[in-house]
Amino acid sequence: MTMTVPNPTDNQTATTTDSIIFPDGLVGCQDWKNFILMTDDGDEELPVAILQSLDDASISLMVTDPRFLEPSFAPKLSAQDYADLGLDDGGQTVMYCTLSTADGWLTANLLGPLVLNPLTRRGKQIVVVDSVFSTRYRVAPLGSSGV
Amino acid sequence: MLVLSRKLEQSLNVGDDITITVLGIEGDRVKLGIEAPRSVTVLRQEIYQQVRSANHAAAAHGEGPSVHNVKAAIRRRDPMPAV
Repeated sequence: MTMTVPNPTDNQTATTTDSIIFPDGLVGCQDWKNFILMTDDGDEELPVAILQSLDDASISLMVTDPRFLEPSFAPKLSAQDYADLGLDDGGQTVMYCTLSTADGWLTANLLGPLVLNPLTRRGKQIVVVDSVFSTRYRVAPLGSSGV
Repeated sequence: MLVLSRKLEQSLNVGDDITITVLGIEGDRVKLGIEAPRSVTVLRQEIYQQVRSANHAAAAHGEGPSVHNVKAAIRRRDPMPAV
């Protein structure tokens, strides 16, 4: 379900919200299942969005497109991954990775990206066990004040 | 922690749906085979802990930079990213 709502912090831009379900939750966080993805409209070139938990209001994940950060990022999904997502092998997926901070850097979890079936909005966190990238892929330094 | 010993090719049953078998022993390395339903994710512990930690750290972003500031940091990015 897609809804467009006024951005609560800025009356100028609109925010699109899409519901997303992770039927098995996330790794180590099995209860984190129901989310809405909040994206500012009109900024596809720099895709940073918020994945807000509907089960626990205190849980919100900032996410972006890992392929935007690292064009070579192309993890291989297993047949089980595709089946869990309700896709045929090699089917079209949408990927996100969570963003965090560590040691003054903005970091991305490229070891455990979130993969979605774009039609059903069902997702799964996959672990790329042979990844050259880590859970703390350094995206950019943050300013000394942390902003 | 439950402690059991198994020899090569012996197994453990965990609940009704999970079986763990010792497939090989070579020096200090034990090769294990795991049969489990698709809904059960089996990961090396260090990987599981890294990803779980990263999920929790990401969920606490409320104390960190805003979307606006994150976008600004990305825009300023050095084209040679660090792993």
